Amino acid sequence: MKQGPGGLYAAPSILWLSVFFVAPLLIIVAYSFLTQGQRGGVEWKPTLDAYKAIANPTFLTVTVNTIVVALGATLVTILIALPCGYHMARSKRQNLLLLLVIIPFWTNFLIRIYAWIAILGNEGFLNDLLRFLGLTDEPLRFLYNRWAVGLVLVYTYLPYAILPLFSTIDKFDFSLLEAARDLGATKLKAITRVLLPNIRGGVFTAFLFTFIPIFGAYAVPLLVGGTESYMLGNLIADELTKSRNWPLAAAISLVITLVTTVGVMLLLRAGGTATLGSGGAGTKEPEEGAALPAQSVASAEGEPA
Amino acid sequence: MVSKSARAALALVVLGVLVLASACGGSGQKLYLYNWTYYIPDDVIEDFERSHGVDVIVDSYSSNEEMYNKLVAGGSGYDIVVPSGDYVSIMIAEGLLKELDLSRVPNLANVDPSAIARIGFDPDNRYSVPFMMGAAGVSVNSSKAEGYAHSWSIFGDERLRGRMTMLDDMREVLGAALKFLGYSVNDVDPAHLEQARQVVESWKPNLVKFDAEAFAKSFASGEFWVVQGYAENVFLEYDEERRGEIDFFFPQEGMPMYLDSFCILSGAQNVDTAYQFIDYMLSPEIAARVSDYLMLPSPNVPARELMTVTPNYSFDDLAAGEFKEDLGLEGLKLYNKVWRQIRVGN
Repeated sequence: MKQGPGGLYAAPSILWLSVFFVAPLLIIVAYSFLTQGQRGGVEWKPTLDAYKAIANPTFLTVTVNTIVVALGATLVTILIALPCGYHMARSKRQNLLLLLVIIPFWTNFLIRIYAWIAILGNEGFLNDLLRFLGLTDEPLRFLYNRWAVGLVLVYTYLPYAILPLFSTIDKFDFSLLEAARDLGATKLKAITRVLLPNIRGGVFTAFLFTFIPIFGAYAVPLLVGGTESYMLGNLIADELTKSRNWPLAAAISLVITLVTTVGVMLLLRAGGTATLGSGGAGTKEPEEGAALPAQSVASAEGEPA
Repeated sequence: MVSKSARAALALVVLGVLVLASACGGSGQKLYLYNWTYYIPDDVIEDFERSHGVDVIVDSYSSNEEMYNKLVAGGSGYDIVVPSGDYVSIMIAEGLLKELDLSRVPNLANVDPSAIARIGFDPDNRYSVPFMMGAAGVSVNSSKAEGYAHSWSIFGDERLRGRMTMLDDMREVLGAALKFLGYSVNDVDPAHLEQARQVVESWKPNLVKFDAEAFAKSFASGEFWVVQGYAENVFLEYDEERRGEIDFFFPQEGMPMYLDSFCILSGAQNVDTAYQFIDYMLSPEIAARVSDYLMLPSPNVPARELMTVTPNYSFDDLAAGEFKEDLGLEGLKLYNKVWRQIRVGN
């Protein structure tokens, strides 16, 4: 590795991240240790009140609720995204399929949520269809519960999972699957023993891209959730606005940040030396992010190019 | 020599540009208004700009909390804000508002004295000039529900289970329960709030959700039959021909009520224009146009004669209402605790 002026190239992004990420984070850290102001804001008296308030069972309930929803929605998203990514990688019309995955982004996120309300509502399209087919008389309630929240979350974050999976699978050398079959593996075994280990990096990326935003979801539970769909994102917003308890909002945000960071680090460790978004085992240097999985399989330890 | 005269010419040009620029920019003064979304129709603002030669820059918010947090966090540069009563007292205490010279708002005389008499948050209007008032009520789709009383008890009606929503707003929901029990909407007695919590818990199984965002759309589509909310939200979503279906009422026990007032921020740069704007908004013709637009009754007495639209409810309907006041930090903490118990379950 040469030590050229490479460090300088990073200056803009370092500046950007310090101003818009590190500084706000430090403000959040500071606020979480201050006293709640009489009328919102904070008083500059250090206290642990906010952290004591977090130890309340209410927050535990909301946190567990949020983890359950986020994990469930993320797993379903990845399970759907895997075959999608696989099919796209093997398809001759990759560009078209890629476009189809991206098209929903052309419409505003909130409008798409309202569209789901129009589809799933008691007087919505789905219930109209069921009644038309004579399957039901009374409308079925699809909306305003945890399942509706899960469904809309999966829908929203599916592209975020498909894209990294596709880009990883696309680089996979499919002749390896044939080789595995030739060597006596069943179809399933070829996928679990050869394909999945090689696209592990993509799966991790997909997991992070979906889990982290879902963990902080706010609008979806607010709009399609019911009386019990109250997630950490909603709690933070309410503490900041209605309760005028800024330190508590800051403390909860900080806990979320810590939990996600620790989670990511654990995941990375579990993923061995895998670099995010790369082919998987064996690739060590970020520059090799694009390393061919075939290569890393061929040379199990990963060879510096 | 050449260079000197060239420099002089350049200086002249620069000066000319500066004078021109200041003339263009200053021909109208500016007024920075921080207002509720869709609260004052654009043409009213435009008329004011034309008649007073002022350039009004409008920013909007959708809740008092949003406005207040922005101002506390250092958002500045605004001249006028329009907070509700409880936030007027909070902002007075925080020193955010400028003490007013009411002699510069002669049209304040148009405001109904009965409304002013009920103001507790700023009794002598030292900091605030009342603009519009109203309350959240209950809307019932009368084609779906029948045989109910005009009372908060409707949310205890199991026949309507799964078809009702209340606002995602602790002051409105707890205020409803407190009124139902015969207490004040500003009650901070823990025993009374515990009773109120039990009332809301008894309503909760019948509610689809606590919703302050999208309930009106689902009410209009026929999904929800009974919703707590502001009339202007509900009627706006409903087809005009079908509006007869809506039975909008204020429960007989009374309800929490809001009064939004014009206030001048203590850091305002355009104070003279701000007074002109406030007085303009309180003139009968303009107040009537705003009330027509919002389909709400006007607290402005001479404006009522000039209205061309029948409002969604009458001013007298608000007689049973009680203005929401600030609860103070301890009161707020108590309400938060009770509300969290209701929302999260422990």
